[in-house]
Amino acid sequence: MVSAQVERFETLILPHLDDAYTLARYLLRDEHDAQDAVQDAALRAFRFFGGFRDGDPRAWFLAIVRNCCRTWQRRHRRDRLSIPLADDHAAELAADSASDTLAMERSERAAIARAIDALPPEFREVIVLRELQGLSYAEISGVIGVPVGTVMSRLSRARRRIAAALGQTLEAS
Amino acid sequence: MQCAECRDALDAFFDSELQPREHALVRDHLATCLDCARHSEEVATVSRRIQESLVPHRAPDVLKARIRAAIAEDAARPRRRSRWHWLPLAAAGLVIAAVSSAATLLAVHRGSAADQVATAVLESHVRSLLPGHLLDVASNNQHNVKPWFDGRIDLSPSVPSLDSAGFPLAGGRLDYVASHPAAVVVYTRRQHVINVYSWAEPGADAAPVTAESHGYHLVSWRNGGVEFWAVSDLNIGELAQLVALLRR
Repeated sequence: MVSAQVERFETLILPHLDDAYTLARYLLRDEHDAQDAVQDAALRAFRFFGGFRDGDPRAWFLAIVRNCCRTWQRRHRRDRLSIPLADDHAAELAADSASDTLAMERSERAAIARAIDALPPEFREVIVLRELQGLSYAEISGVIGVPVGTVMSRLSRARRRIAAALGQTLEAS
Repeated sequence: MQCAECRDALDAFFDSELQPREHALVRDHLATCLDCARHSEEVATVSRRIQESLVPHRAPDVLKARIRAAIAEDAARPRRRSRWHWLPLAAAGLVIAAVSSAATLLAVHRGSAADQVATAVLESHVRSLLPGHLLDVASNNQHNVKPWFDGRIDLSPSVPSLDSAGFPLAGGRLDYVASHPAAVVVYTRRQHVINVYSWAEPGADAAPVTAESHGYHLVSWRNGGVEFWAVSDLNIGELAQLVALLRR
């Protein structure tokens, strides 16, 4: 009985740990915080699993991960909005000298990564859920708990902000 | 359709999230309005650039092992709210098997002896990923790892250096698997950990056999009275490559 529940959880939920971890990395921007939040989310998901009937297990699990990340941030008060992202992008940028085209592509990618990182969390989450994890608007609406219309407008505004940031980089170079 | 209305719907149009009627209206408008068509292009471009820039992360093995262990532990603990449900079960003389580790969770099949060994190896592998359990001797140098086993176990595992093949040595440990004291040599590949178990097992030589369970791959073979098991969540192709190097 107990093990049937564990087995079902293993089959339906655990395959999405990579997606869960990816979302947590983008939301919390710290690998240790992300690990702790995902572990917390997995245990919660397991405890509430009896309540999961149908629907997409990935979206169901990502909703819990997202809420755990929110709670985690509130509890630890570590808002690092203003810290520019990703040393690896910076390193990538610095290390490159191979060719101008390549350098330009890389600096563009780094600029987009910075722009995504600088987005307010409610914009960043829709970008990751849509552009990286490929969720539908209805699924995103379920994960973040807002109407589909709000998902649509947040995604649209987030893309415009990133486009604007990219435009500035291109003009500057 | 007016331009302002069209602009508001461009993202949803691009994501194929509009109702068929609206979708057709936007499509028709874009066919006639150059300005809106240019904005539509921009949405497609920025979306593509964003997708190129975002990277999926892989949950570390240690995190996966921690989660499996936490769930097994949680499953073994009766819930407070369901206390009354347990009473009739206890009365009926049923004993709820204690799921005290990731062990039970990872049961492959309770069938043949080989399956039971596979289960034991897998349990040991997952346990080894918990913090502080992986290595008794941590060294990338085969000349430190191999002598460490001397006098600790009655076989001398071969510890080839496979750095150049992309499998750096991490070290070794002693373990106890399926009633055998085992020597474990630990290799790594990117973020993956590969445990290579060996213990004395009389019998004819046997060619490698592979198995898969819960996202882990296992390869076992027997050579010169020693049984070997290699286990990892690495893909089977790369694991087979390591096994081929070890058997050389």
